[in-house]
Amino acid sequence: MKKILLSIPVVFLFIVAPAQTESDIEIGVVERLNEYIPLDAMLVDENGDTVIIGDLIDKPTILNFVYYRCPGICSPLMDGLADVMDATDLVLGEDYQALTISFDPREATFLAVRKKNNYLNLMEKKEQAEKGWQFFTSDSASIVRLTEAAGFRYKATGNDFIHSATLIILDPKGKITRYMNGIYFLPFEMKMSIVEAAEGKAGPTINRVLQYCYSYDPEGQKYVLNITKVSATLILFFAVVLLTVLLIVRKRKTNKS
Amino acid sequence: MSSSQTENKGYKSYLEEDGGRKGIFKWILSTDHKRIGLLYLYSMMGWFVIGVVLGLLMKLELIAPGQTLMGAQAYNATFTVHGVIMIFLIVIPGLPAVFGNFMLPIQIGAKDVFFPRLNLFSWYIYVLGGILVIISLFGNGAPDTGWTFYAPYSFKTGTNMLPAALGAFVLGFSSILTGLNFIVTIHRMRAPGMTWFKMPLFPWTLYGTGWIQLLATPIVGITLLMVAGERILGIGFFDPAKGGDPLLYQHLFWIYSHPAVYIMILPAMGAISEIIPTFTRKTIFGYKAIVFSTLAIAFVGYFVWGHHMYTSGMSGTALWAFSLLTFIVAIPSAIKVFNWISTMHQGSISTEVPFLWAASFIFVFMIGGLTGLVLGSLATDVHVHDTAFVVAHFHFIVFGGVGFAFFGAMHYWFPKIFGRKYDSSWARTGWITFFIGFVTLYGPMFYLGIKGMPRRYFDYLEEFHGPNIISTFGALVMIAGFLIILVNLVKSARHGERTTEMNPWGGTNLEWQIPTPPPLENFDEIPVIEKATYKFD
Repeated sequence: MKKILLSIPVVFLFIVAPAQTESDIEIGVVERLNEYIPLDAMLVDENGDTVIIGDLIDKPTILNFVYYRCPGICSPLMDGLADVMDATDLVLGEDYQALTISFDPREATFLAVRKKNNYLNLMEKKEQAEKGWQFFTSDSASIVRLTEAAGFRYKATGNDFIHSATLIILDPKGKITRYMNGIYFLPFEMKMSIVEAAEGKAGPTINRVLQYCYSYDPEGQKYVLNITKVSATLILFFAVVLLTVLLIVRKRKTNKS
Repeated sequence: MSSSQTENKGYKSYLEEDGGRKGIFKWILSTDHKRIGLLYLYSMMGWFVIGVVLGLLMKLELIAPGQTLMGAQAYNATFTVHGVIMIFLIVIPGLPAVFGNFMLPIQIGAKDVFFPRLNLFSWYIYVLGGILVIISLFGNGAPDTGWTFYAPYSFKTGTNMLPAALGAFVLGFSSILTGLNFIVTIHRMRAPGMTWFKMPLFPWTLYGTGWIQLLATPIVGITLLMVAGERILGIGFFDPAKGGDPLLYQHLFWIYSHPAVYIMILPAMGAISEIIPTFTRKTIFGYKAIVFSTLAIAFVGYFVWGHHMYTSGMSGTALWAFSLLTFIVAIPSAIKVFNWISTMHQGSISTEVPFLWAASFIFVFMIGGLTGLVLGSLATDVHVHDTAFVVAHFHFIVFGGVGFAFFGAMHYWFPKIFGRKYDSSWARTGWITFFIGFVTLYGPMFYLGIKGMPRRYFDYLEEFHGPNIISTFGALVMIAGFLIILVNLVKSARHGERTTEMNPWGGTNLEWQIPTPPPLENFDEIPVIEKATYKFD
């Protein structure tokens, strides 16, 4: 009975405990649907010229943040983007466009160009992508303004970054209308979000599960590993004890006739 | 053919034996395994109706593109609660809690389970878990993470995640205790002479299931506690910002939840293995093959969880290893199907209602199983993952498998349980309506998925409209079938024609050799088993 009484506050704690709120998060995506990105932010284009992002956005736009030296999720993300742009029947550069921006201010134009050529060679719609998918670098101040406005949060670790994979869909006026998380995208969802963005209508994020790019150090994560190892050992221990008792200890006469 | 005797004197059935209690206390204080089985049946029936209504709401939302009935947030909450109820409150307890409780002791020649009080306690825990799920619906809004509670969303969402997760946690204990109880019962209480290989197949599947419940369920308990730690204390097990690993959540979750699929399906296969010999008047083909394939499924089923995570970012080696194991686990399932079909071969089949359910079980289970291989292959999975195809696949397996077997078992054991007959022509009408509705509901979703319609999405493009209308129409037909079945069974249980026939179907196992409905302690004298099971004279 005592145990039952003790468990009541625990149950209560479960019910009232607040979640980490979305705006607290350090890394990941804080959704800012229906807000505008700073249209006066400056980017450096593939020719090394400085441009203003507001001048580029005149149609539904897929915005994504990566860094070109990224050893992790950025390439799969852009693979996914290239695949879905190949798969959809919308015309890249006419119905919509894609802007890829490096969030590492140390990266220079040549890296952007090299990355772009990589992806163009992979794509069937190479001609459309030439014009419709542009790669940029930028200065640290513009990057901070853009990523913060888009709710894209990342953290530097040494030379690399921990960040998540997401596409941000903007309407022709620069308003955020949708987030698409992950690295595989359905042509369905992409078309739907472009159609909605063209109308300036914001849609809900469907795939809520973020995928991250991070370096995981199992050696440094002893507490997690210990929890899983200790509990696995306990579970197996009790199971083995049970089976042993059932098999070895003689069957008592439970059924008296 | 076994003789059917009528015997109506000299004993009090378990339904009349009330232990001196009154009203509802006859039920909620009784430690009789048969009454506990029925307690589970009634509570699950209530949940099932709620789950069906939520499912119907989703299908109605999808009847046309755009927002028809509810917005995105409401839709997210609907599919989450639908999933939590259907998985944790219905199919996981499912056949073991209802028919396992009722039939296991009888089939092995025992008077009750080994721990009768623990058995009743498990039901109380089940009810508590259910209440927590209800609590989660109020307050900050129903949870919207999907029944899988994936990190990081489960610790970031502002909705009532924790009561739902705690509910699942508590329900896990009910499952563990039931599993433990069955394992010990099977080891300790088989009637004299009932060696392992004379034991009927339904108890065998409960035995395999019991071990899965015991070994796998604690993992999801620990995982849900980790989510709670993440949410309340911000520990960072799954948060890369704090050095945690978000993939770890998926691993831990599926290490439980994949074996849980076998918790659901094994007893369903057990029930089918009971029904088919009875209605074909033939010994089950390959008894030992079924037993060993049951154990093989229970064992290999532990090592395939990664196939839920092909697109989550695992190493290439992990991917193909999980894919290979997934193909291997399909083999014992196929063995069972071959055995059932071979049992029917040259049998003298009588197409009574339970047999119709069993035969249609094989049909939908095959579709579910074969489409599972499409998802188990790496390349095709990338194409259809997270689409309606996946939803169609697991409804064919989980609902088609467990649901059809459940209804089959219900119609099979109904006269024994209630001592009354049901109206068999209504039961047939219900079955055919349900079956047609089921295929019409989920069939088009395979097509939609291949065409690229995502799951968990309240809206779609115009080009997907046609199949969605068919699917919603199928849902309505299926629900009509379900209502026919439900009304027929409920009515028959209350007012149906009384029967005391011991063996209406001519079955061979022990439950058909005791009076109908069974007396409190099942057997006056514990039987001594000499013959192998499923032997027709």
